[in-house]
Amino acid sequence: MTGTGTLLGFSLRRERIGLPLWIGGTGLLFLIQSVQSQNLYGTAEELAALRGTLGGNTAVIAMSGPVELLDSIGGEIVFEIFAFAAIIVALMNMFLVGRHTRGDEETGRAELIRSARVGRRAPVFAALALAALADLAVAVAIFAVAVGTGLPAGGSLLVAAALGGIGLVFAALTAVAAQVFEHARGVYGAVGLAIGAAYMLRAAGDAGNPALSWASPIGWGQRTFPYGGQQRWWPVLVMAGVALALVGVALLALDRRDFGAGLVRSRPGRPRASWALGSAAGLAWRLHRGAVIGWVLGVGMLGVAYGSLGDSIEQYILDNPEVAEFLPGGAADVVDAYLALTITMGALLAAAFGVAAALRARAEETAGRAEPLLATAVSRRAWLGSHLGVALAGSALVLIAAGFGEGLSYGLTVGDSGQAVRMTGVALAYLPAVWAVVAVAALSLGWWAKAAAVAGWVAVGYCAVVELFADSFGLPEWLLQASPFVHVPEAPLEPVTAAPLLAVCAVAVVLVVAGLAGFRRRDVGY
Amino acid sequence: MSAIAISGLTKTFGRTTALDGLDLTVREGEVHGFLGPNGSGKTTTIRVLLGLLRADAGEVRLLGGDPWADAVALHRRLAYVPGDVILWPGITGGEVIDLLGRLRGGLDRKRRDELLDRFDLDPSKKARAYSKGNRQKVALVAALASDAELLLLDEPTSGLDPLMESEFQRCVRQVKQDGRTVLLSSHILAEVEALCDRVSIIRLGRTVESGTLRELRHLTRTSIAVETARPVTGLADLPGVHDAVFEDHRARFDVDSQGLEPVMQRLATLGVRSITSTPPTLEEMFLRHYGDEDRS
Repeated sequence: MTGTGTLLGFSLRRERIGLPLWIGGTGLLFLIQSVQSQNLYGTAEELAALRGTLGGNTAVIAMSGPVELLDSIGGEIVFEIFAFAAIIVALMNMFLVGRHTRGDEETGRAELIRSARVGRRAPVFAALALAALADLAVAVAIFAVAVGTGLPAGGSLLVAAALGGIGLVFAALTAVAAQVFEHARGVYGAVGLAIGAAYMLRAAGDAGNPALSWASPIGWGQRTFPYGGQQRWWPVLVMAGVALALVGVALLALDRRDFGAGLVRSRPGRPRASWALGSAAGLAWRLHRGAVIGWVLGVGMLGVAYGSLGDSIEQYILDNPEVAEFLPGGAADVVDAYLALTITMGALLAAAFGVAAALRARAEETAGRAEPLLATAVSRRAWLGSHLGVALAGSALVLIAAGFGEGLSYGLTVGDSGQAVRMTGVALAYLPAVWAVVAVAALSLGWWAKAAAVAGWVAVGYCAVVELFADSFGLPEWLLQASPFVHVPEAPLEPVTAAPLLAVCAVAVVLVVAGLAGFRRRDVGY
Repeated sequence: MSAIAISGLTKTFGRTTALDGLDLTVREGEVHGFLGPNGSGKTTTIRVLLGLLRADAGEVRLLGGDPWADAVALHRRLAYVPGDVILWPGITGGEVIDLLGRLRGGLDRKRRDELLDRFDLDPSKKARAYSKGNRQKVALVAALASDAELLLLDEPTSGLDPLMESEFQRCVRQVKQDGRTVLLSSHILAEVEALCDRVSIIRLGRTVESGTLRELRHLTRTSIAVETARPVTGLADLPGVHDAVFEDHRARFDVDSQGLEPVMQRLATLGVRSITSTPPTLEEMFLRHYGDEDRS
């Protein structure tokens, strides 16, 4: 235990920037949901209507939580946001504990610390104490937001405690994983999988057999029914008990292993490169592969979720005319307007992926990993082009996944198998706009490399604001014109014609070519 | 013909001047030592040679071409080992060696496996599990397994243990026997002395000395600490002895390389009980020969 206090103080200092963002972000998420829900379903009739619409929609229940929550406005808020807030809190705990235990051990920082007058268990205790403090702060923030937006104090205390408790469980689970795996990456992989499993189990449980929900900490949290008649505190105690037991397991494992070692040895890789790893493009694909697959699956799932609501949307709009204001085209063509809006969301996410992938080139360059490649017979155009190629092709795949997923589930609910193909085509109408956004990042990589990250993300953010908030903010027309999304048709609401697509595509090509040309002129690595 | 010919090379980054009129000539088939203290501009020079940085002024020729304009064609004929080898964490050392070899235009598989053996490197480990020394070995094996006619090595042994360092020296001698050219940057004088035909010494982005090791011998001075059976006398007056401290049966002093022989003869008559000699560090040498006059 010696040194735990000092280490805790030190880790708080290391986390002084990131931690407030996690805590504030979780609070903000709850705040937005609370305000929005109370505006939309403020009366008992509106709530009853919502329960009627959603009660029969398995997809929404699987995404959100048990339908029993929908008996009060507070419960409705928990229904919509609790599972997502729980995932964020779980991720925060995973990164906090992982970074300060296995992460430090892997980089050798912990060796320096352990050589001082510090007990063997001190780093683990300090990391867990850090996580506990962070969970307490999250709970305080959630409680303050809930009470501040007019929800009853007792229920707010329970929902805050349930979120904090979920955090503790995953903090303790990360502490166990940190003893098992040799590298932080393995720890994050395993705990990330556990978080995903917790969400999927409660989804299966809420939509089907409730026993499955009881296998998930997120399920325990939702089943406290904080604002309902049958409030339960005991699931919070279950969380605390599980967390304590996991800490015990972590300590047992810690006392039995060598410093730097794990219980599972990391697998050796290939001693020789496969044929695929023989070019700059092959390396780029290898580096981006995981991200491409993750984004395609994630955005595809989001598309499935959006699509599953397509059929209910008409009924939903009739019940909630306020929502129609957010849809392009208003209440007429409601389904097409809804599909256009949600596909636009998918396109914005595809653009975000593309920008992130393009910016990876800059990260490689500043880390010094471009230098050994550019010292071989790889031209600058081929090297930057390899990353931009993955960014452009990958963003197309993400966009296709959004359209295909949405079409698939929408087609299933309305009994029209052609929808998957149709919606894939609809999504591709947004591809030139997606590429134009990625091309902004490409251009700045060539000419203003130090500002490339800012330029790329500003482009994404600007397009998102223009697409999602232009009407509600009443932005002037001239301010919107720079967004490529304004210039491509809002399929399937508007007919698709070739001219605007080709024009936006041409702009994208010019920007990418200019970026490649700029990269041939500048110093590399600075 | 020269493999590398640089004259008056200047490179600035904002307000810092990294290279200030540097000259460097490396003849074909020689091992050329490129010496200078940390931050003197060795790495910047090599990056200009690789076409990664554009020269602000001066003439740079590499293997008869322009390193900026003909980068890709020239890179087929050279191999490079960076001073700080940074690899992709999820890719194994063996994969990196193969990748870099293929990107350069093929590598000799037999020599690759032999080098892995000689450097005792496990190619199936992912790069995140390698120590600094092992990452350096990955880059060394990739470079040495190639048929490149020019090797650019930027402080290639900074992470290696003495055993591996001598293995490295054997490899470089082999490369020299094959008639290939090596530019070996270093801040360790002894390493350069062991391998190089000619040496260029740079400081603050400028070449201060260039020539064969014999020509530069006047720069080197050895520090000697000795314990003798009889009291130490008659040493201080010998030519080339500096900073001597005598203490009955013990003495510590520095001696120029030309003065070594008479000093050793004198010591032999005193009955040497123990003796340690240390080569001068480059930093000491610089302090002595160039003073601090242009260090700002």
